[in-house]
Amino acid sequence: MKFISDVVIGLEIHVQLDTASKLFCGCPAKSGSEEPNTRCCPTCLGFPGSKPVVNKKAVEYALRLCIALGCSLAETLVFSRKSYFYPDLAKNYQITQYELPLGRRGSLVLSSGKKVDITRVHLEEDPASLAYPDTLERSSFVLIDYNRSGIPLCEIVTQPEMVSPEEARDFMKKLSTILEYLEIFNPDTGVVKADANVSIKESGYIRSEIKNITGFKEIERALFYEVQRQKAAVAAGEKLVQDTRGWDSNKGHTIRLRKKEIEEDYGYILDTDLPVVDITPEWISTVTQHLPELPDEKVKKFTTVHHIPESDALVLAQEKMLAELFEKVAEKIDPVLAAKWLRRELARVMNFNKQTFRELLIDETHLIELLEMVSTNQITDRTAQKILEELMMKPFSPKAYVKEKGLGAMSDTTLIEQYCAEAVAENPGVVADYQAGNEKAFHFLVGVVMKKSKGKAPPPLVNQLLKKQMRTT
Amino acid sequence: MSPASSLSVTKLVSSFTSGTQSVEQHTRAVLAEAREINEHYHYFTLICEQEALGYARFLDQKIKEGKAKSFPLLGVPLTVKDAICVAGVESTAGSRILKGYKPPFNATAVQKCIDAGAVVIGKMSQDEFGFGGFNVNVGLGYKIPKNPFDPDVCTGGSSGGCAGMTQKTTFPHLSLAESTGGSIVAPASFCGVVGLCPTYGRVSRYGLIDYGNTLDKIGPLAKSVADAALLLDTIAGRDEKDGTTLDGPCNAAAGIFADVRGLRVGVAKEAFGEGTDSSVAETVWNSITLLEASGNTHHECSLPVTSEYGVPVYYLLATCEASTNLAKLCGIRYGMHEELAGTFNDYFTKVRSNHFGVEAKRRIMLGTFARMMGFRDAFYLKALKARQIITDEYLSLFKKYDLLVTPAAPILPPRFAELKKLTPVQHYLLDVLTVGPNLAGLPHLTVPVGIKNGLPVGALLIANQGAEEKLIRAAALIEKKIRGSV
Repeated sequence: MKFISDVVIGLEIHVQLDTASKLFCGCPAKSGSEEPNTRCCPTCLGFPGSKPVVNKKAVEYALRLCIALGCSLAETLVFSRKSYFYPDLAKNYQITQYELPLGRRGSLVLSSGKKVDITRVHLEEDPASLAYPDTLERSSFVLIDYNRSGIPLCEIVTQPEMVSPEEARDFMKKLSTILEYLEIFNPDTGVVKADANVSIKESGYIRSEIKNITGFKEIERALFYEVQRQKAAVAAGEKLVQDTRGWDSNKGHTIRLRKKEIEEDYGYILDTDLPVVDITPEWISTVTQHLPELPDEKVKKFTTVHHIPESDALVLAQEKMLAELFEKVAEKIDPVLAAKWLRRELARVMNFNKQTFRELLIDETHLIELLEMVSTNQITDRTAQKILEELMMKPFSPKAYVKEKGLGAMSDTTLIEQYCAEAVAENPGVVADYQAGNEKAFHFLVGVVMKKSKGKAPPPLVNQLLKKQMRTT
Repeated sequence: MSPASSLSVTKLVSSFTSGTQSVEQHTRAVLAEAREINEHYHYFTLICEQEALGYARFLDQKIKEGKAKSFPLLGVPLTVKDAICVAGVESTAGSRILKGYKPPFNATAVQKCIDAGAVVIGKMSQDEFGFGGFNVNVGLGYKIPKNPFDPDVCTGGSSGGCAGMTQKTTFPHLSLAESTGGSIVAPASFCGVVGLCPTYGRVSRYGLIDYGNTLDKIGPLAKSVADAALLLDTIAGRDEKDGTTLDGPCNAAAGIFADVRGLRVGVAKEAFGEGTDSSVAETVWNSITLLEASGNTHHECSLPVTSEYGVPVYYLLATCEASTNLAKLCGIRYGMHEELAGTFNDYFTKVRSNHFGVEAKRRIMLGTFARMMGFRDAFYLKALKARQIITDEYLSLFKKYDLLVTPAAPILPPRFAELKKLTPVQHYLLDVLTVGPNLAGLPHLTVPVGIKNGLPVGALLIANQGAEEKLIRAAALIEKKIRGSV
């Protein structure tokens, strides 16, 4: 391949699929905090005599991803054995796909509109996890936990087409949104890991591969570090060699694991315990029919059907549950108002309470009730914000709450006029400042009136009456 | 041949249901004889006395409860090749590296036999992991079994323990064996018993310690064709735990003595040519004559590709598969361990160097080589293509013929002293008559057809995929004619 950019990055991403059981046996696939080696059987332990049997659900999940990424699909499902000796591999070979991956030649569009080509998407089994009693270098033995052994992984391999760590991060972010939309990955229980190939023009594009990076921020950090490292090394007159490196997130640097002078030889052969399964047109069309709308389609719909600003649409489409919540609320509420409230206010209170959409206690009915009151001036924005904060703790009917607590916006002009008169009378200095042309002084006075009204006075009305009051004094 | 050969499994079952003897009584006698035989002939890797007696008592209880009818193999002694897992009983595939491995599950075939009332009495000697045709490549620390007709002669392999015991025991007996490239029919021929290797996928491989996954088949060894058919019917069928199993039950025993007429029998000329001992060829020809006498016809045919490329194709594919299957044996979770020292590579190397036998190491190296980058295309992938051509060669013959008949081995059962003189490649070449049907996944069967120089000769019958019934009926006819003529 001929490169021209200053930096060249390619990614290999491993996604743990959110299936109930493992890829080749009936053991539960969900990771959790339970005891090591409690979710395993003769098959995922690699006992002599055991046999793998493929989990169709995992294949279906991988098909969803292939279709969403626009891959051409293989006509048959074929597995291979990738042989190498390592303590985390129950059989000293990994069941994966080699010659015939499930999907080929797909693509994903970045935020910038740039298209990144995807070479292949395939299914494979996760190895066991290793636990070192001390640091890797100092441990004299290692403990093996087979709970992870056999969890279905989907591997996505891109062409080396990204030119900056930011692009790599954006790719990961976009991919993870798609995974969430497809409901094949659960960020609470599953892990996404990336191996990144990176090289720079100055070295003549000598590649380093950084293994096992978890998270979008991490991938950007690791790649940023690695690009700087390579540049500094070349500047210092060093000749780079191909190597495999590890990312130490705590220390913020990559370390060489091994030189990669020759290509590794995995001696691939077919895994014939798993019979070839036809991926029929019927199967593909069933999966395709059940595919949800994807983020890009949502953005298009939000801007053209709901007529909300593209900036709002992009944010709302980034999380599937947020996008769906918006669609439901927008059925009853002006979409521009709904978008503003979901994107800004809901995001703010959720962020403050460190809540995710999965943990959210309220649904569209609460928001529709709340925003109906806002749009008809029955409550002020201020009151609505406070109710939203309360709703994070426990769900309740906003309308009943407003009624019960008497939080309805004040429509009694006489009372607001009275508050304004009081505010002016109590703060002669501030009034003088305002009359001298200080706008901040006016905001202070508005605040005083709001406080007196317990937030129930509609701000536009307060502005109007306060100005009138000061003209008359 | 021993007089017991005439006592069928079905008659034994009746003796229990009629109350003539208890299963426990009988099992005790069988175990005593097994110990006695084993002392001289080394057929067992392990005799599971306590388990056998425990199950015998359970069956006696069931008889008392009037439930004997639900056990078609009630109280029948069953021996099991060591590579086939029996729950809680050490199963090592004849290898020291698996010493101490007690699988927590039964192979499906074993489970079906137990459910039918068979009593597992022991695990049987074999070439380590099935790597041999004479049962002399036993694992480190295991004894080589001796031919029941002559203790200086081999049993054939790799299911030698199963075949030897099936011949030697004076009691009705069934045995679960396994074939990758001829390991059922070869020892059956050398020990003068019936060996039936079913169509690939007919019997679940779940619980079989793998040799070559596309080649391995579990099948019966028995004293008669009828017994073999009964055992096949018991173990055949689709299994959710093995995705390669075929749909549908097997009804081999039902029509076994039906009239066999009008069969077109193909006789591959290569099998009776230069490489085949003339006394073997002559004896097998007699069985073809017997078939003809009963209204069937024979026709000369040819298997040129199989004859020339069968052995190399088989050894390439079988060793490629075996070398990955054996990778898991590294002293971590089961089997032999070593002191933890050095890196994991040092550890794996130590365990594997110390506990694999010579032939296992040879086949691991052969198979690893044939799938290495740079050689994979020339060996592994080419062998896959050649295998298809070989399969097609057989399938085109079965458009014209119902059965093929050849000798099961080109030579009489060899003496240990003779085998010692052979190189590994000469050993491999003696598989020439059995690798073909194994590569093509065809059902094939050995039936004893005579004695030459005091040693048995077996005819090998091969049928099309799924045509076990035809195979069994023809074999039953030959068996009947031969026993009638003795």
